[in-house]
Amino acid sequence: MIDIDNMPAGLRDAALKAATACLADVVGVTAVVIATVDGFDLASALRGNQDAARIAAMASSISAISSVVALEAGLGSFKSVTINTDAGFAIVQAVPRADIELVIHVIADHDAILAQAMHRAGVMAKVLAGAPA
Amino acid sequence: MKEYKLLITGTMGAGKTTAIRAISDTAPIVTDVANHDSSVDKARTTVGLDYGVLALDNGDRIRLFGTPGQARFDFLWQILAKNALGLVILVDNARPDPLADLAMFLDGFATHLETLPCVIGVGRTDTHPATTLEHYADALEARGMVFPILPVDVRQRADVISLIDTLLGQIEAGMDMDLQ
Repeated sequence: MIDIDNMPAGLRDAALKAATACLADVVGVTAVVIATVDGFDLASALRGNQDAARIAAMASSISAISSVVALEAGLGSFKSVTINTDAGFAIVQAVPRADIELVIHVIADHDAILAQAMHRAGVMAKVLAGAPA
Repeated sequence: MKEYKLLITGTMGAGKTTAIRAISDTAPIVTDVANHDSSVDKARTTVGLDYGVLALDNGDRIRLFGTPGQARFDFLWQILAKNALGLVILVDNARPDPLADLAMFLDGFATHLETLPCVIGVGRTDTHPATTLEHYADALEARGMVFPILPVDVRQRADVISLIDTLLGQIEAGMDMDLQ
């Protein structure tokens, strides 16, 4: 088991860099939290008073439930889920790694463009999937 | 035919998933993932929900929902408790402070427990007898609560069925009182 307090520094740095850049680059994004699949926040970039730990736990639950839905429906492995609301959207994106599975949670308001945020979440996932441990 | 929604909660490692697996008539739905919390010696942990179904001899059906155990998932506790008719709290007597564990769930479900029947299942009482069932009863009494407290081995179907039977008895009694 890799403990949350002993996550590889390289991976933590890569996660922080990715989250910070996404928040800065994508208009309307208000929070980017990168978490372990069991809901510990590894890195985050936030506007305002959002709670990274709480967002991480929710991302973990959404990811796990989505994975089961995909499995039960014979749809293969979970990749991402988008929650559309009247004020914006949230994206939960899987980061498949052999050593430490991660999830990315992007929260955006109505100024954001969904396709742009989804594309960026996908790019972050690829970067983190290949980041050194 | 009656349908009951029952909720099983308790600390990480107390055996919620195992309990549902022990009595579900169908393969349970589980949302466990790799655990990164080294304070608990466990490879995987539930982060969403567990789900199983148990058919009773009289044709009634119980839908069993299990919660994650960690407090960081308390948002799910409230969601899963909606429309539940009863609550099982599982406590692991081998943990450092099982009475504090119980208190966390009594607090977490405080609003629901004002009306919801509840039963406490205490695991590993044989190997860790320091905290007795009387201690649990005293802790409940201090809060003005009285719930059945049973020793349980969640790997044993009969033990889990006993917990559910006890809870159903409470639910039926509550319904009878409502009708009077």
